[in-house]
Amino acid sequence: MSLLESIGEQQATALARIEAAADTAALEQVRVSVLGKKGSLTALLRGMGAVPPEERAQVGAAVNTTRDAIEAALTKRQQLLAQAELDARITADAVDVTLPGRAHPIGTQHLISRLTDEIVEVFRGIGYRVVDGTEIETDYYNFTALNAPPDHPSRGLQDTFYVVDRSGDEAAVQGESDVLLRTQTSGVQVHTMEDQELPIYILAPGRVYRRDTADPSHLPQFTQIEGLVVDKGITFGDLKGTLDYFCKQIFGPDRKTRFRPHFFPFTEPSAEVDVSCGICGGAGCRFCKGTGWLEILGCGMVDPNVYGYVGIDPERYSGFAFGVGVERVACLKYNVPDLRMLLEGDMRFLRQF
Amino acid sequence: MKVSCKWLKTMVDIPTDIAAFTNALDLTGTAVENVQTTGAQLDGIVVGHILTREAHPNADSLWVTTVDVGAHNVGEDGSPAPLQIVCGAQNFVAGDKIPVALLGTIMPNGIEIKKAKLRGVESRGMNCSARELGLGEDHAGLLILSPDAPVGVPIAQYLEQGDTVIELEITPNRPDCMSMLGIAREVGAVYNKPYTLGREAALAAVGQPASNLVRVSIDDPERCPRYTARIIKGVRVGPSPAWLVERVTAAGARSINNIVDVTNYIMFELGQPLHAFDLDTLTKDAAGTAHIVVRAAACGEEFTTLDGIKRTLDPDISVIVDGNAAAGAGSTIALAGVMGGLHSEVTETTVDILLEAATFSSAHTSRTSRKLQLFSEASARYERGVDGATCESFSARAAALMVEVAGGEVCEGVVDVYPAPVVPKELSFRVSRFQGFIGAPIPVDDITTILVSLGCEVAIQACHPEQSEEPRQTDATAIMDPAVLRPDEYLALDHTVLSVTPPTYRPDLTREVDLYEEVLRIWGMERIPATLPGGRGRIGERTREQQRVTQIGAALRASGLNQTMTYAFGAPGDNDILKMPFDERQQAVELINPMNSEQSVMRRSILPGLLRSVAYNQNHGVANVHLYELGTVFFAAEGRKQPKERQLVAGVLAGTWFDAGWNTVATALDFFDGKGVVEALLRELNISKIRFKALDAQAAPWLQPGRAAAVMAGSQQLGWIGELHPSACTAFEATAPVVAFELEVKALLAAAQPARPYKDVPQYPAIDLDVAVVVDESVSAVSIEQVITSAAGNLLDSVRLFDVYRDAEKIGAGKKSLALTLTYRAADRTLTSEEVDSLHQKVLRKLSGAVGAEIRG
Repeated sequence: MSLLESIGEQQATALARIEAAADTAALEQVRVSVLGKKGSLTALLRGMGAVPPEERAQVGAAVNTTRDAIEAALTKRQQLLAQAELDARITADAVDVTLPGRAHPIGTQHLISRLTDEIVEVFRGIGYRVVDGTEIETDYYNFTALNAPPDHPSRGLQDTFYVVDRSGDEAAVQGESDVLLRTQTSGVQVHTMEDQELPIYILAPGRVYRRDTADPSHLPQFTQIEGLVVDKGITFGDLKGTLDYFCKQIFGPDRKTRFRPHFFPFTEPSAEVDVSCGICGGAGCRFCKGTGWLEILGCGMVDPNVYGYVGIDPERYSGFAFGVGVERVACLKYNVPDLRMLLEGDMRFLRQF
Repeated sequence: MKVSCKWLKTMVDIPTDIAAFTNALDLTGTAVENVQTTGAQLDGIVVGHILTREAHPNADSLWVTTVDVGAHNVGEDGSPAPLQIVCGAQNFVAGDKIPVALLGTIMPNGIEIKKAKLRGVESRGMNCSARELGLGEDHAGLLILSPDAPVGVPIAQYLEQGDTVIELEITPNRPDCMSMLGIAREVGAVYNKPYTLGREAALAAVGQPASNLVRVSIDDPERCPRYTARIIKGVRVGPSPAWLVERVTAAGARSINNIVDVTNYIMFELGQPLHAFDLDTLTKDAAGTAHIVVRAAACGEEFTTLDGIKRTLDPDISVIVDGNAAAGAGSTIALAGVMGGLHSEVTETTVDILLEAATFSSAHTSRTSRKLQLFSEASARYERGVDGATCESFSARAAALMVEVAGGEVCEGVVDVYPAPVVPKELSFRVSRFQGFIGAPIPVDDITTILVSLGCEVAIQACHPEQSEEPRQTDATAIMDPAVLRPDEYLALDHTVLSVTPPTYRPDLTREVDLYEEVLRIWGMERIPATLPGGRGRIGERTREQQRVTQIGAALRASGLNQTMTYAFGAPGDNDILKMPFDERQQAVELINPMNSEQSVMRRSILPGLLRSVAYNQNHGVANVHLYELGTVFFAAEGRKQPKERQLVAGVLAGTWFDAGWNTVATALDFFDGKGVVEALLRELNISKIRFKALDAQAAPWLQPGRAAAVMAGSQQLGWIGELHPSACTAFEATAPVVAFELEVKALLAAAQPARPYKDVPQYPAIDLDVAVVVDESVSAVSIEQVITSAAGNLLDSVRLFDVYRDAEKIGAGKKSLALTLTYRAADRTLTSEEVDSLHQKVLRKLSGAVGAEIRG
């Protein structure tokens, strides 16, 4: 067999083996046995020295052609087998995607804190700053400077928690003290009016206390958000527009508000605000006790007497104040059946929000 | 305040649609709390005609009657048949018309009328007394109706008992609305309709002057601005007529007798509380004159009120006394404005009446009610304020009514002590300012109409703006525009200034703005256009601290903790049973009037509250608990009014992160889970130089020794972390282990850096070398790390501890093996292996030297 014939036979054998290789590993064996250092074609090339010079060009060309053919076949077969193997692996890797994902601990925000943030964001968007204050206040900031009459029933031991006064001062009212757990965050408003430049657009969220026995609809401590605006040219219409915006943001754009005249010592005129019932849309149902409305907050134009305590001229400035109970909003939005759940720390409750 | 629509209709027109009516009241400031239709409880009771009255064969005091009830009972042939009813009353004869409760009727007291045999005689219904119908106290006999009462007609219809009673919430600023007259006036203003008193009662006084029989003196006019006394002689105390019973019942009182009912009636009708004393029971002087004195109660004085309760008084309480120094000391006969006394009350034997119509200080009345826990219809009115101007005329009306319903005669004149009569005050009402304040151009005519309908006198003070081409400041007249108005804008305003004199029954109207509210509420808040403030110079911002606090919560939630809230109150012993000591300067804030002893102080740590929540969860079958709370703790400050408040953030972990799943293993939470949470938080706040310093049993007795650490940033302690001592868990009925931490928010904020500095991202490859060192148990991981870091210098990129291993046999007792990966890297070149090897050898030598480490592998 001439060398050229041998090359031809090698090519045929190699191509057949390539075609027969069942997987990439077998194919690699073929490649090594033909093209590797000790491969058969490599051996032929090594034998080129023994080829007579006049045949070298022809043999060399034949070897190169063969090698190219084999390499092309190897590549082609390699791609084919690799694709088949990838397909097989992908098929084998398929999982039941409905199996639960690997758990990561992730916490939740308390319903009241979440709602507080939501409400704060609504007002921050229309230019209100957030102001904090202490939870234990003096009688002056909680009541007197807010125009509450000295004998107002809310000042009584029945309604307000008093704490032991360590200053040695005599209490103004018998059995009570001048230091108390704040019943509203309005004291923050008084501090702000005393300390800040006008105009004032503030929101005071925080924990407040009233002497109620804890039951499904009462808690001795709860969360209130009060707002205060003092500026030139503030109108009752501005109060309406602001709270209407607030209710639509928190409860939904299709909800309506209505203002019912009311009485609060620190505002004049004063109103209570109802939002239309989200369950019946205002037609009247069990949730809204047939009225179509749900009471949501109290508000009014700041009483001139309050300005008097902080030295603002009511002839030049006007303003409004409002207060909303976050627990009340929670009840209306989520229908929480028992407010005490908010303070129990039951994981099954907290994890819902 | 209960308002009978039937009664109200006699005073002012009201819509027939009650829902529309209550809505109008709601929207003008008189909140409707409840609407009740009465008469429904009289269903099944009809007018009956007694045909026969025979003695009961087996009982002396019973009668067997046959009663015609019309078509309500039919015989076998379908025609009306009388009922046989056994009856115990004695006051009737055959032929009387009476109310009959048919079989199946539920009586107002809840009892159902059933067919019964009374002493062997069948009875098919019940003949009723007034009390059985809920129409009065009279139960001596049947309620005998007029002979022309139509048989078979429902009794509610016949007696016109059907009524709608509206319960109104009267705000504390509206004393005038505590009467039917006030409500009629209010309704008149809402609908712009006239109102009247309805029922007439003319006073005809005769006989000797009242001033011969009674003298009045007031010790302190501040406590009692006016006191009037009238005498009615020769009354016959007895049941009230039906109309009176009906009205006082509708208003929410019980009918007592005709005299007491009149005093209540006038209070409900006119808002003037009255008290009727039995004149005979009062002490008199030699001339037979009674002396009424209004004065402060004596300290510790005892007094038995009408309700039979003996009460101890103090000098802040005002009392009525029947005597003075001249007439003998006398004794207390009433708590002024709150309740009369048992001794002088009107009884069936009373003949002569002393009628009190007075005003008492609202502050004293309110304090007295609160102090004695005694709230009456009278005190509710005095607390708000009773109009002094009308005491005398209202008392005259009461006296005339007493004579009408109880006979007798009114003595000539009235004894009236009124040292400082109320003078109405005139107020200005600047229309343009009002319009600017409200934000709507409410016309001056509407303003006037509303104020007049509420009883104000209104006159025009000024109305012409000065003509001027100059722009002008508007401060004095309008605050609608803060700066300057153009002349046309200025002229467009209504410059009318009204002069308004509110009536004496509206003590709440003392300022211009009070009138604004009146006009606004009647004109209609719903008619004011909604706008948003247009003011400049406002920024919706949160302070850096507020943002940081938000970040604290977000970081803890990202680590798997759930936010909760617990009571800010605690039990005084909470910290003792927890063994969390506080020094003497950190006393608890004590409540003067706690709800209960478990909540009598303010908390000094959030941990007890969280631990209670852990126990709550565990008791309810929830083993995996991951909670945090960000809240306030309180410490008393000696010598200062206000205590110190500090914000803390605390967390508790118990159980596992989650139950084992198909691809996860449940690992019990321990110290290092809590530490990981705290580390993630501190990283989020950019706090550097973090150290966890072991706390021993003495430093933190509430924590398990060996699993407790102080959290430090440099030398500043931020708080603590650890596994709670098993006995602390037991004390709060929680199952150990519970991991907990508590950090001071202020310290966290102080240590927090605004941002971490930028460092170049590595551009050259690193070389990792592992080392295992065997050291004594007492050698801490952090000290090994420190030796490595200082020995390796800045070519060491990081150290990672990846294994801790103990084996008494292989590495020896009291020893541990720590395996670490040291990553070497240079910022400016690729390190050579020779360079790294020599550095690593130096590190290993230092480790052997400094911590006695034996190097393995």
